[in-house]
Amino acid sequence: MTLVDATLVAGYTVADVLLYAAAGFAVLAIGMLYRAVKGPTMQDRVLAVNVLGTNTVVILGLLAAALGEPTFLDVALVYALLNFLMAIAISKFTVERGGVL
Amino acid sequence: MSDSDRRDDANPRDGGDLPPHRAVDRSGRLDSTERQGTPYTESQVIMPTVKVVAPFAFTYGLFVTFHGGGSPGGGFQGGAIMAAVVFMIAFAFGIESTRTWLANTVVVALAVGGALAFAGIGLVPVALGGAFLQYDLLPIPIKYGLEAVEIIGIAPLVAGVLMGLFFLLANGFALGGDGFEPDDPDESDAPDGGSGDGDAGGDSASPAAVADGGREHGGDA
Amino acid sequence: MTGALSVTAPVAAQVTAIEASLLAFVVLTALATAFARDVLAAVIIFGAYSLGMAALYVFYRAPDVALTEAAISAGVTTVLLLLTLAKTTRIDHEAAFESVNYPAAGAAAFLFVGLLLTMDAIPAIGSPNAPVWSNPDVTQWYLAETYAQVHVENTVMGVLAAFRGFDTFGEAIVVFAGGIAALIVLRREVFA
Repeated sequence: MTLVDATLVAGYTVADVLLYAAAGFAVLAIGMLYRAVKGPTMQDRVLAVNVLGTNTVVILGLLAAALGEPTFLDVALVYALLNFLMAIAISKFTVERGGVL
Repeated sequence: MSDSDRRDDANPRDGGDLPPHRAVDRSGRLDSTERQGTPYTESQVIMPTVKVVAPFAFTYGLFVTFHGGGSPGGGFQGGAIMAAVVFMIAFAFGIESTRTWLANTVVVALAVGGALAFAGIGLVPVALGGAFLQYDLLPIPIKYGLEAVEIIGIAPLVAGVLMGLFFLLANGFALGGDGFEPDDPDESDAPDGGSGDGDAGGDSASPAAVADGGREHGGDA
Repeated sequence: MTGALSVTAPVAAQVTAIEASLLAFVVLTALATAFARDVLAAVIIFGAYSLGMAALYVFYRAPDVALTEAAISAGVTTVLLLLTLAKTTRIDHEAAFESVNYPAAGAAAFLFVGLLLTMDAIPAIGSPNAPVWSNPDVTQWYLAETYAQVHVENTVMGVLAAFRGFDTFGEAIVVFAGGIAALIVLRREVFA
């Protein structure tokens, strides 16, 4: 029996708690989506997507731990690296609408 | 952007009393002359960060490619990550400088070489009397046959095509002429000079279109 | 959104908290992408959509698909769309959202209801009785035989590169042809 299968309280295992934590982060992501949709400026949206990306990395990490599959962390790493690319791409695009690329 | 692309003397606007980054009206799209005349200092945050991150991201792309047999990933994903590293460098240091650094020959060699390598690995067993991609006829272990297809076939192909698409879209549509005869300025702006809304500043656009800039070029048609 | 999931009670009862929240996020981002009036905002929100999809794929134990979604959607699609936007003209908008085209919305709703009616016939996610899983000649055969025959642990890669290698070759050629088609459409003769 591994750590994620250990029972904490009332029949809930560590894996269950991790999954509920991931669900909580997903709910927070919906809250941040409001800023990405509403704006009003592009900088708001860039920041919102950047935070969403970090949030997703946390969700992926929690899922990897809860499902007991360490290789799923590869996806989280890729997202951490490429979220940075998305952030710099959009933020440099907002200067003169792509004029400085 | 490299300094050779800046043509400060060609800037038709005089935004003298405005700070440099506000010098051009933001409501409309910049034509190529205005764009290249826009003063812009490179970001001191993005460039050092990319310098630190890019080697790790590239290594991770190689890991995803080479370790596709034992963990999630493979040539397609790894090739896309390696191409994304090139995008990252291009955004930090300017697309034009990256274009000169990564010559067209490299991009085409990656794409064509990948396709040929895949076909070659597949056809060797056919030559030996087997089926296409019948790995047990190859003179190497079966696992290495699969890895070879992923590493020297799919990954360079995907990376090359994605980089090519990136540079191609950064260049935009070839205005003036048919785009396939870059050295013929006389015939260049006859057929569709009036379509008007594209970047004529790419290196394979006709010299006349570059010299005129987008606005004048659209105006005389 | 919750209406879609509570069509049949057993399905709704099986949706866990993480699935429900991720599905809500994905549907909301998809709707926002479709209705955003500013194209740049739509591109940015589409990036957020891919974040949710990747987490969902990981939860359904499809890390290869999630990795592809991460690499292509976050790394490549957003960048290529931004470059395309840099070549176009921006139209200033008053409203933040696109106005709804009612005939199109009606057609979409019709299609949605039609597809919803087929949901009863679809096996539940992870069901051991799903045909694709219980068929001993396809999925079970690949799971049992991949390592024995081609010596790779990743069954997805084994199927792609060995058992379905010719199909993968065709896909690779499609990617290659896509690059050439872009050259022709943009009327260039060199990439860089």
